[in-house]
Amino acid sequence: MQRDHGCHRIDHSLSRRGFLASGAVAGVAGLCTPGVAKEIDKKQKRVLQVFLQGGVSQLESWDPKPGTLYGGPFRAIPTSVPGMHISELLPHTAQRMHLLSIVRGINLKTNSHHDGRLFMEMGRRAGEFPYMGSVAAKYLMPNDAPLPGYLHVTTRGLTDDTHAFLDARYGQLKLAGHKVPDNLLPPKTVSNDSALRSRALLKRLNTRFAGRGGQKSFIDSYNASFEMAEKLMARRALFEGEPSGQDLDRYGRHSFGRNCLLARTLLENGGTVVKVTHHGYDTHAENFNFHLEQLGEFDKTFCMLLDDLHESGMLESTLVMIYSEFGRTPKINVRYGRDHWGSAWSIALGGQGITPGAIVGATNTDGTEVSDREVDGGHLFHTYLQALGIDSTEYHTLGGRKVPIGDPAREPIGELLA
Amino acid sequence: MTTRRSLTSAVETPPAPPLPRDVPPGINVVKTHVVRTFSIDDVPLTTCRIDPTGSYVVAAAENFHIYRWPLSGPQSARTILHGHNSWVRSFDFSADGNWLYSGGYDDRIGIWPLHDPKPSPQRMLVAHDGWVRWVRTSPDGRLLASCGNDNLLKLWDTRTWELVRVFEGHKRYPYAVVFHPDGKRLASFDLMGVIKEWEIDSGKVTRQWDAKFMWGFDKKFRADMGGARDMRFSPDGKYLAVAGLTEVTNAFAGVHKPMVLLMDWESGEFTKKLKLDTRGMAWGVRFHPDGFLVASGAPSGSLWFWKLDADKPFHTFKLTGGGRALDLSPDGRQAAIAQTDRKLQIVQFTGKTA
Repeated sequence: MQRDHGCHRIDHSLSRRGFLASGAVAGVAGLCTPGVAKEIDKKQKRVLQVFLQGGVSQLESWDPKPGTLYGGPFRAIPTSVPGMHISELLPHTAQRMHLLSIVRGINLKTNSHHDGRLFMEMGRRAGEFPYMGSVAAKYLMPNDAPLPGYLHVTTRGLTDDTHAFLDARYGQLKLAGHKVPDNLLPPKTVSNDSALRSRALLKRLNTRFAGRGGQKSFIDSYNASFEMAEKLMARRALFEGEPSGQDLDRYGRHSFGRNCLLARTLLENGGTVVKVTHHGYDTHAENFNFHLEQLGEFDKTFCMLLDDLHESGMLESTLVMIYSEFGRTPKINVRYGRDHWGSAWSIALGGQGITPGAIVGATNTDGTEVSDREVDGGHLFHTYLQALGIDSTEYHTLGGRKVPIGDPAREPIGELLA
Repeated sequence: MTTRRSLTSAVETPPAPPLPRDVPPGINVVKTHVVRTFSIDDVPLTTCRIDPTGSYVVAAAENFHIYRWPLSGPQSARTILHGHNSWVRSFDFSADGNWLYSGGYDDRIGIWPLHDPKPSPQRMLVAHDGWVRWVRTSPDGRLLASCGNDNLLKLWDTRTWELVRVFEGHKRYPYAVVFHPDGKRLASFDLMGVIKEWEIDSGKVTRQWDAKFMWGFDKKFRADMGGARDMRFSPDGKYLAVAGLTEVTNAFAGVHKPMVLLMDWESGEFTKKLKLDTRGMAWGVRFHPDGFLVASGAPSGSLWFWKLDADKPFHTFKLTGGGRALDLSPDGRQAAIAQTDRKLQIVQFTGKTA
């Protein structure tokens, strides 16, 4: 077990590139009416990732064990699925568990924020592989997609190079929360005509650079940035205006509520993979008071988003992931905290391709180890992609080279696949 | 339920509860030593109290049990009280010491016949919508105040257990509530460091303070940390002492310092902000009849002793584990400390031969 009091790791620091990208774009507006939502192409598969950053406690969420040695003070409550119980901190989610399933036997064999996050995102313990969001964007994003393929709404910058060897256009684009974005309009001093001439010049320079042996990936990266920016500028109306009072009442007026409203807008308007991060689960001290606050904020807000996806018919074509980089120790430390714990923890999934209302895997009585159906980030990675209809046992083709999409040593969790 | 009848003026004056007013001879905290250790097997303790007659000491733990020992008895005389289905955060007693009241994170107050050989709850009262964080008996014993995660303070009639008054006003969780010794006022302290004085009869806030220095907002994690971990009036009602924390720099890692706030209650001034130069939290505080303050802290595991006019402790006693709660025996010679190392230590503030 590793205790990381300050968690002053590189992955907590602000990336300059991420900052520049997120500084360029951010914002929210609930533009999509229910009627419009119904018109959304349900064949278009999407992903909603809700990342509970820092490591949500499985004992305070998906795998409660009240009355046991390390069970903590919270009780378990019944859900809409007979026999399934989750923590009392998730009363709204409990009423919607018939739409979700739980994986309770995750063992990452790491207690590091960095390693756990990469394993959960890449499906590999090590190496430079694309994140699941980038892979999904590559295989699901239509050629004429109106928005960048992988959008991340977050109030803090984490350093992520998500596309690895894939084309840069599948890389994650961070949106700085719900703030109205800067720079979606061209400068007043730049006319449309001069902007077109600038683009033409850029194209010529790129061609010349490539012809002189310049790295293609370098040019691709710049082109992808321009392409993403152009898409966002063309769709800037999505980021303008204020959500309705009714939506704010439902989702909450806090940052996470507004970020989830933006996520809904993005999904309704052609977003392929949308990730929302809810921060504040790295509870080395006062775990119970903080989970009371954090999950209290998560629970209703997430359920409003889930309801909207469900009621518009989008849920059946949207894979929903609620996940972290790891869970938290069963043992409670002297600060009433729980520390990092990748050995026996849980996530929840739902929507596209997932059998709802299931529990796969189990932990022992005190939650100290997996007792049934142990899986890791590799199994989950295959499961996400197979649920989306992507054959994760196939290969990415890179010129003449082939790279397995998922770890060949792992397989999907078949019981979860619809 | 909450009709405006006077809760204080028509009350006959009962015999005064046994407050530790008479200073016993031989108190010398520099010679503080452990006289008895009670323990449980598996999890840390969360809180403890000694009953007003000095017969029993009770403790709660990171499980659903309450443990009772005769204060002078052996470890083997332990009795376990079953009734809550979450952790117990706070205890108090009836003025005569016959009843134990327990506030739990199962939203309930337990009412227990303390002296029964195997006490079972006379009643488990659903008191709040959310955790019960604190319970405190009125000086005359007729009322019990509670506060909880519904942001409310409530007053209960200890004869009928009817709800007699609700106090609304805290915007965030009130962590503790206490009666002023005059029996006519309450003081409460919430997560954000807001202190309120309430007039019991009218239910109104009569004064309010902002002790923001006992709260912190962690910008990185976007979370508030603060609140009273213990709160006590001096027996004469002149001072209020609050145990908690200050200088929160990383709430999620527990990077903050213990603090005991001493307030002159009548003037409303913050008389002393007693900050400890160590990491952690002050979890318990008491006014000793000898005229000094004693507080317990964790995770370092210390008892700190201050004179009321001093900024620095005149003595520190190291504990074997973090001191999460503290209570004095009625004669002031002993203290019980609920510790993180599963021990309930009984220490004596005298030399070993006293």
